[in-house]
Amino acid sequence: MDVAADDAFDEQCDYLFKAVLIGDSGVGKTNLISRFAKDEFRLDSKPTIGVEFAYRNIKVIDKLIKTQIWDTAGQERFRAITSSYYRGALGAMLVYDITKRATFVNVRKWLRELREFGGDDMVVVLVGNKSDLAQSREVEKEEGKGYAETERLCFMETSALQNQNVEEAFLEMITKIHDIISHKSLETKINGTSLNLPSGKEIHIADEVTATKQPNYCCS
Amino acid sequence: MWRDPGVSADSFYEIRPECTDVPISRFKIKAGKTLSARKWHAAFTPEGYLDIGKTLSRIYRGCHGELWLAGKHKGVHPSIRGEVWEFLLGCYDPKSTFEERDQIRHRRRMQYATLKEECRQLFPLIGSGRFVTAPVVTEDGHPIQDPLVLKETNSAKGLDVHHQDNNNHSSRIATNSLQKVTDKIVVQWLLTLHQIGLDVVRTDRTLVFYEKQENLSKLWDVLAVYAWVESQFLIISVLEFVKRGNFRCTESSVGVTSQLNVLASVTQVIDPKLHNHLDNLGGGDYLFAFRMLMVLFRREFSFCDSLYLWEMMWALEYDPDLFLMYEMPESASEKAVGSKGKSKSIRQCGKYEREFLKSGSKNASQAPLPISVFLVASVLKDKSSKLLQEARGLDDVVKAKKP
Repeated sequence: MDVAADDAFDEQCDYLFKAVLIGDSGVGKTNLISRFAKDEFRLDSKPTIGVEFAYRNIKVIDKLIKTQIWDTAGQERFRAITSSYYRGALGAMLVYDITKRATFVNVRKWLRELREFGGDDMVVVLVGNKSDLAQSREVEKEEGKGYAETERLCFMETSALQNQNVEEAFLEMITKIHDIISHKSLETKINGTSLNLPSGKEIHIADEVTATKQPNYCCS
Repeated sequence: MWRDPGVSADSFYEIRPECTDVPISRFKIKAGKTLSARKWHAAFTPEGYLDIGKTLSRIYRGCHGELWLAGKHKGVHPSIRGEVWEFLLGCYDPKSTFEERDQIRHRRRMQYATLKEECRQLFPLIGSGRFVTAPVVTEDGHPIQDPLVLKETNSAKGLDVHHQDNNNHSSRIATNSLQKVTDKIVVQWLLTLHQIGLDVVRTDRTLVFYEKQENLSKLWDVLAVYAWVESQFLIISVLEFVKRGNFRCTESSVGVTSQLNVLASVTQVIDPKLHNHLDNLGGGDYLFAFRMLMVLFRREFSFCDSLYLWEMMWALEYDPDLFLMYEMPESASEKAVGSKGKSKSIRQCGKYEREFLKSGSKNASQAPLPISVFLVASVLKDKSSKLLQEARGLDDVVKAKKP
């Protein structure tokens, strides 16, 4: 890791976003994240136990954004404390495998969990992964897209293996989060502090953003 | 003085040559230190009583905190691990004879065969040498189209079922001729089968042992039967719980949430600077340590080193009454409430268990914390300066904690 460069980035970083990857076991969450964060892909990745983390810094318009992505276990028994995965998350990528219909059927279940534990404004991108395995396709693109539309989610088909649309899917999520955040802070400025804020959630998010961006690393 | 540099034990757990991304093993078999077959057999009286106290200290002696990680190369010789582990895990009373143990072993094998048959009745692929990696029922119990038939019609989808024999056509069709399943427990169990299958193919694929389909499906069988027993056991526990109106059953283990909380408190005390740093990185909940606790460092160590670490922990935590849980769960829990600590000789306990008994905190309302929590704390403490200097995110924390 280029520590010096990263430190410099941390100093200037305007936002820290937390996003979470969810979906059935074996749909390729870990490979999507390692493609996005490290441009790596492993055919022999192991099941994720609990949660793993990845980061990527991105510039959206004039703002520098650091995204912390939580890669969670797809299997119930390896999941641990589900509610903490969603706590403070501004975005979620809900992944299924286009060659396994059951993983698409389960998207409903994941969405329920997400709506239960996640914030109301969470940006959700539905991702149909493994688009390179077209010959084994069990879920048509139109079907994924249609479902995403009815549930008002963003949608994309990706291939972590062939590096198709991975960057685009993450960028879509991050830009959308950025839009919401900047819209909110604008709204807050116009309306004064706590007017029109149903639960104080917005302020909480803004706080979190400013709190987490402070470079506290240099304590030693 | 001449010192034995030790022999690597990796030859017992062969790695596929093409797998390069495997942690290096540090455990070495050392003459006079590692528990050998000769010393092990000498620890039994002619009728079969085992001097467990002596055996335990042979396994863990000289291991304090992070020194385990430095590798004092005690542990158990791989050739006798199977036998020794049976005792470490409490399968038998160390004060039993060879003959008594033979009987118990035989009875348990029969019991396993019965359970496996029960499972086979529910899902015929159990014991067939094949297994599934795609779901076989929906959540409401409707059978999902036979993946074996899918295999027949489209070979590209054949990954879903793993075959050992390719010519048993009639049994293939019959494999998932499930009716709609109404029993909730059965549905829950059926829903775990493909997940077990996914783990079986993905977890230890670096080992030569699992190149064989036969070994993979054997592991799948064992885990599937275990999951079935577990689902039954849960029901019994719930009934017990209702019947007795107390919390005995739920307190027999300490949940992962409280383990993580204890880990946080321990780190806060032994290394407040590190705790603050982790907190600043967003790791104050210590969720990044969940994996270490859940699979006991299996991902951080090589296969060989994991086994060594585990037997060390089991020896330290050894409780001579453990076997009662398998034979007489009822009396074991009674004992836990009543006279625990009086009937057993403290000499027979592992060091950690002994300290726990001595501290007098052992009573029905308090289960001991697993030693693994302190092991994680010691790894963090050990890596403290590295973490403080280099970790800029939780990903770095996960990486750096590899001992």
